[in-house]
Amino acid sequence: MEVSHSIRERTIAENSLVILLQGLQGEVTTVDLRDESTARGRVVNVDAFMNVRLEEVLYRDRRGRLSQLADLFITARNVRYVHIPDHVDIMETIQTQLTRIRRVRNFAGEKRGRKEYLKKKN
Amino acid sequence: MVNLKNVSPPSEGIRCNQGEITAVWNGEGLGPGTLYIAETCVSWFDGSGMGFSLKYPSISLHAISRDFTAYPGEHLYVMVNTKLNDKCAEEEDNESTDDDCNADSISPVTEIRFVPSDKATLEPMFSAISECQALHPDPEDSDSDFEGDEYDVEEAEQGQIDLPTFYNFEEGLSQLTLEGQATLERLEGMLADSASQKHHCMAGVRPEDTPTGCCNGISLKCIRMWSALLCICTWVMFIRACNGKRK
Repeated sequence: MEVSHSIRERTIAENSLVILLQGLQGEVTTVDLRDESTARGRVVNVDAFMNVRLEEVLYRDRRGRLSQLADLFITARNVRYVHIPDHVDIMETIQTQLTRIRRVRNFAGEKRGRKEYLKKKN
Repeated sequence: MVNLKNVSPPSEGIRCNQGEITAVWNGEGLGPGTLYIAETCVSWFDGSGMGFSLKYPSISLHAISRDFTAYPGEHLYVMVNTKLNDKCAEEEDNESTDDDCNADSISPVTEIRFVPSDKATLEPMFSAISECQALHPDPEDSDSDFEGDEYDVEEAEQGQIDLPTFYNFEEGLSQLTLEGQATLERLEGMLADSASQKHHCMAGVRPEDTPTGCCNGISLKCIRMWSALLCICTWVMFIRACNGKRK
């Protein structure tokens, strides 16, 4: 599971429950959309704004028609529910994601990270 | 019937630019054209320069479809949450009104398929739209905004930016003007006075854990003072008495 490269997204994720959704990377789950269609597939990525990217998706539109989509990107605004799989331990997932974020931050902060992305203080 | 407009393609922020893309608008084929995926919008133009432009907030979802039952050919599927006749941008935004309120009724939706001749371009096009979509977070979503002073927690921790901080003792002292120093001394004097008076006045109300040495020291001082006062008074009375007797 990757942590976002954007400082802004890491900060947002650290302070909201979207971090739980980010921890679902690799899980197969169902996303209910606002227009009452559903998409079931493997979570590729959820960004800090809650845009959801799925792959190998079975998409059922609001009329009930099924179709398969190789890759699906759902805009955050259109997400109504994300189903958390039963076998996922929510607290543990959140803790793991938080640890990952902090590890990335500390890695850079202790002067061990890649210097070229650090802004110079003038 | 789709109304195509003579709109010019985006001039900057173009992430992806593909030719030989057939557009299918709600099932109606529009022929081959060029697709521009820019940071501001997704635009498509046919051979004669007529086309349409989609703003990212209006795109509900996009996908790569390899399902031949939906459409005979691999394509990029885009769902737009308004019933577009492809008027100009301002009208589109006005028309995309309260989908939330219309949750019960069927909200208008436009399905657009971009069918490339080169299937290998599907992945880059999909990724380009995904990245640009992330540049347009929902302005109504207040949860992801932070109130108060925004600063990068991480940059601050790395010491990259100046956080508003308090001076430590040495720094603060060196920053004081002459007037400031005088004020500080006066205030410290007042503090010291009030501290000694506090012990003087705290009749019976003494905290348990006061250091015994300190407290006893000050109370001894008080006792000495009082006894001195007493001595003086006694002496004065004695002298008066003596004077009185003499008379």
